[in-house]
Amino acid sequence: MSKFEQALAHKDFVLTVELDPPRGVALAPLLELASRLAPRVDALVVSDNRGAMPRLSGLAAGARLAAQGAEVILTLTCRDMNRLALTSQMLAAGAEGIGNLLLVSGDYVSLGDHPGAKPVYDLDSVQALGLAVTLASGRDLAGQELDGAPRFCLGAVVAAQSDPLPPQLIKLKKKAQAGARFIVTQPLTGLEELQGFCRQTATLGIKLLAGLEVADPGQRQGVVGLFKEIRGSGLVAGAHLSMPAAQDDLPALLDACGL
Amino acid sequence: MIVAQRKDFEQIKAAAADFRKVLVVGCGTCVAVCLTGGEKEAGILAAQLDLASQIQGEDKSFAVACVERQCDLEFLDELAETVLDYDALLSLACGAGIQLLAERYPRVPVLAGVDTTFIGINRDVGLWEERCRACRACVLTTTGGICPVSLCPKGMLNGPCGGTRQGKCETDPERDCAWSLIYERLAGLDRLENLSAIVAPRDHGARSQPGRQVHPAYLRRYSAHE
Ligand code: SF4
Ligand code: SF4
Repeated sequence: MSKFEQALAHKDFVLTVELDPPRGVALAPLLELASRLAPRVDALVVSDNRGAMPRLSGLAAGARLAAQGAEVILTLTCRDMNRLALTSQMLAAGAEGIGNLLLVSGDYVSLGDHPGAKPVYDLDSVQALGLAVTLASGRDLAGQELDGAPRFCLGAVVAAQSDPLPPQLIKLKKKAQAGARFIVTQPLTGLEELQGFCRQTATLGIKLLAGLEVADPGQRQGVVGLFKEIRGSGLVAGAHLSMPAAQDDLPALLDACGL
Repeated sequence: MIVAQRKDFEQIKAAAADFRKVLVVGCGTCVAVCLTGGEKEAGILAAQLDLASQIQGEDKSFAVACVERQCDLEFLDELAETVLDYDALLSLACGAGIQLLAERYPRVPVLAGVDTTFIGINRDVGLWEERCRACRACVLTTTGGICPVSLCPKGMLNGPCGGTRQGKCETDPERDCAWSLIYERLAGLDRLENLSAIVAPRDHGARSQPGRQVHPAYLRRYSAHE
């Protein structure tokens, strides 16, 4: 069982933060930031070409973070990898001591900065969860036996603001069935949004992590307030914090949240 | 039907620059319906090319021929005499038609005058919409007759991504989310249970080689001759 999975099972409220690998080879600042964040959170979620914008591989960054003792949740996106590539990334993650995966479809390429790229989507997020479960069972998708099976705590994402919501919930249910142990919401805008969503998902029995994002510095106070409300509400199993434009300020955000 | 759009005139002109006598070959089927490569459009293109070459003082000639279906050898034979008089064939058929024309007349350069865009429907006069990617594993029975492979940019099979807002796709607020359409339709038919099972990864193996489809009667005919 990964440390994060244990935290999910035993803690009232788990906390994760999102880290983008550098757009370049300079890993040192990320490693330094991570060393300050890791003791304060339950896991570091390493993104994978977030927003369809290429960066240093999440696997490479995640492996370095795991090597320095951090609990890592590696994001893998179906947009950029077919089932072969996802298989090898998952095996590498397992070998590098990364025990948690967050499997996502990925924003479409036209929303990023390489809009002419060929989108892959060989698998969708439900099928990618199935792949990870298959690998954990000791086989690959072709049924061949693995020389050492990885073990993962699996997660997926959901967008509470999807409209219409029912088809999103149908897929969420499949994600839970396919092996997702935790679900991270896309950034929330208010407590009502979360309340409404939780009413519709109560029966699914999923561990929900409320996504909270400081998209620009002006939003920080609002996000801190929302974090406290959500934490107090008892609606979710934890929170996932991100500051994509200024991740160096994550420690200060944790301070402001009283963490 | 197959939908195509005509290439930019300058591009066509540049492709034809090396040849003195060019036969513009239209096709009377799909590309005629989408107002791109039928007899009328072939005539217009030949006239434009002719005019452009006259303005530049070139001694060139552009003629027109139109066959019923360029993707069918039966209709290409009628050009056998005509093509002998030309230095190049400028085809306005879809990509399949252009290739069969090239195959049928191996000694004549063939130029593409259109970009083949998709398999689609005739929504209105002058409006066509993509509906099929010829994926060889049709899921329309379960998805309420709405194709997620061609209408969802991500080709999602197990439900929508997280990008749907007001029923529109994350890639374009003007465009319906395929999965919203599928959901609405199945909800209306009271058949949402169609969506409850996890759909396994698609078998792309069949797509890694050019398609070939043989009718049983074809096999019988040729095995009888052996
Ligand atoms: S699922 Fe879509 S792309 Fe595939 S054959 Fe059916 S209509 Fe065509
Ligand atoms: S919003 Fe809908 S149509 Fe667009 S990519 Fe997502 S699921 Fe597909």
